[in-house]
Amino acid sequence: MRKLCGVMLLIVAAVLLAQANIPIKVTLTMMVAGDQNMVDFFQYEIAPEFEKLYPNVKVKVVGTGPGDAGSQQIIQQLQLEKDSGKDKWAIDLVVIHEAGTIWAIERGLIRPYTDFLTTRRLVTMKTAEVALGVNVNGYVMPMFHSQTAIAYNPRFVKDPPKSYAELVEWVKKNPKKFGYNGIKGGMSGVSFVFGWVYWKSKNPDVLMNGPFDEKYMEDWPQIYAELKEFNKYVTLTAGNAGTLDALNRGEIWMGPVWVDMFYTWIREGRMDPNIRLILPEPGMPGQPMYFAIPTKAANADYALKLIEFVTSPAVHAKYIVDKFNWYPAIGVEYVTPHLGKEVFERLYRDIKEADLLKFGKRMPIADYRTRMLEAYERWVEK
Amino acid sequence: MKRRRDLFVGFLLILPALIVLGALYVYPLILSVYTSFTVQGRYGLTNYVKAFDIYWRDIIYSVAISFATTVATLIVSVVVSGYLRFKSWKFLELMYKLPLFIPFLIVGHAMRVFLAPHGTLNNLLTRILRIEELPGLSRSWIGLVWAFVWIMTPYATLIVLGAFRSLDSAYIEAAQNVGASKWKIVIDILIPMCRPSIMVAFILTFVRTISSLTIPIMVGPASPNMITVNMMFRVNYFNDWGTANALGVVSYLIVMVFAIYYLRFMAAERGGIKA
Repeated sequence: MRKLCGVMLLIVAAVLLAQANIPIKVTLTMMVAGDQNMVDFFQYEIAPEFEKLYPNVKVKVVGTGPGDAGSQQIIQQLQLEKDSGKDKWAIDLVVIHEAGTIWAIERGLIRPYTDFLTTRRLVTMKTAEVALGVNVNGYVMPMFHSQTAIAYNPRFVKDPPKSYAELVEWVKKNPKKFGYNGIKGGMSGVSFVFGWVYWKSKNPDVLMNGPFDEKYMEDWPQIYAELKEFNKYVTLTAGNAGTLDALNRGEIWMGPVWVDMFYTWIREGRMDPNIRLILPEPGMPGQPMYFAIPTKAANADYALKLIEFVTSPAVHAKYIVDKFNWYPAIGVEYVTPHLGKEVFERLYRDIKEADLLKFGKRMPIADYRTRMLEAYERWVEK
Repeated sequence: MKRRRDLFVGFLLILPALIVLGALYVYPLILSVYTSFTVQGRYGLTNYVKAFDIYWRDIIYSVAISFATTVATLIVSVVVSGYLRFKSWKFLELMYKLPLFIPFLIVGHAMRVFLAPHGTLNNLLTRILRIEELPGLSRSWIGLVWAFVWIMTPYATLIVLGAFRSLDSAYIEAAQNVGASKWKIVIDILIPMCRPSIMVAFILTFVRTISSLTIPIMVGPASPNMITVNMMFRVNYFNDWGTANALGVVSYLIVMVFAIYYLRFMAAERGGIKA
């Protein structure tokens, strides 16, 4: 009896000791570029779920702001960590744009990790391998795909133009009723300009896939001159949100928007739900957001687990597609079983999956991209 | 010996301030000028060539907008200060200070909703005037100057009103005795005697306007842009710090022109800010 008691005590003590050892407190710090909805996504949806799964982990989300500016902030922070010469960096996980990813790889700020990620195999889009024409395979896992499209108000526009060519005719008949935000107020305007160049260029595929050669830019002066002419008939709005606001107030009847932002505004009751979308021929670009792990992240193991968590089909379906209206980063066939029929129809109501595959273009490769923007400054704004 | 020790102690006392100034102001300034002359590790004027080639129109535009803002701000603040110098009106006293407590971002957003083509102002006007459609002021230079004046006026008024109030009432009473109107007193006595303070208000307003980013982004037209917007664009979209810094140096130089003029003027006025 005494012996038994002793053994019991020993077991209890061992269990207690083991218990005491388990909760290794970890703070997983992530920096997120993008609009406020990206920060909300991690802070209010993913972090609580993930912390339930791993009670010893505390997720800290830092938002750095929309557009490439947000990515730029992240790069600067990582560079500071690198310059400090520390062994363990204070940032464990970053979510960045394509351009930011390339800058980070060039400077050795992020490391390859996707060999250890099972959900990487579910990705069907090329964006996991190539960003702006640069090979990023291994360094990134896409978080979602977002797409630009033209929104129109059916109250004023009965028969929306189905291509850029028809749009040019349309604006002449309805001056100032098409609005976009130029190139300095956010990516929806930039995407519209890229789409314009793809439409007019003789070599759109080269612009998207490379190689870079100035000879493919010979037709640009003419392309931009026509865009300048087009701009005479349009309204220039204030930013991505500015275009949606102007659509809401009826100041403009059509304008390029981000699909996810558009549906989110409708869901939150900030947008007239009657406004519809169309992806005009020959297409407009979209882009992914990437998960990347800093070279010397202190908690790279948990960062990997979080990425795995967000990109697993059930979570992906529930949060990325249903709640935040992004297009999935992993193959549609993997998320469909977890989606209600009405969710699927909402996201693919106006723009069918086939349209998306046909007219959903990539962003131009980095070298053309900067030159396209600069060309706009030189030839259209002046 | 004692004197040297005193000097040393004095130096120690100002050292923290000097370090802060050096680390947060002088060093970044030098770095910024240095960066503006480097392109991929090599020295040259490429950044400046690019800055002037693409943005010469925007540079002129920035100066023009800042100048227009400053002049309009000074007119408003002199009128308000002149009024408050003679009459006490609590409501106005409070209202002119109100914009001080509202962040630029909020002002930017409020202005772009207020001044939009179908915004608050136009909705009101179209109903009163019974017109179908009015052009919006946001996204135009008028809207931009409007927003700037709204923000800058309180600072300028604080300075100008302070100067007006500290002026000896004897001058004003003397003028009133010989029958000068209030308006004439403001023009002929208050403004000339408070010129140094008005110059300070002028320069502060100008510098704050030309260095503002939030308002031009939110209210300004898509093109031409203020210099600051282009600097942001260069950094964010191209990761091109060289040209951004070149534009920055250009705006330092513009501001410096006014600073030098101000210092000269002050020296001529036998020095010191009378406020």
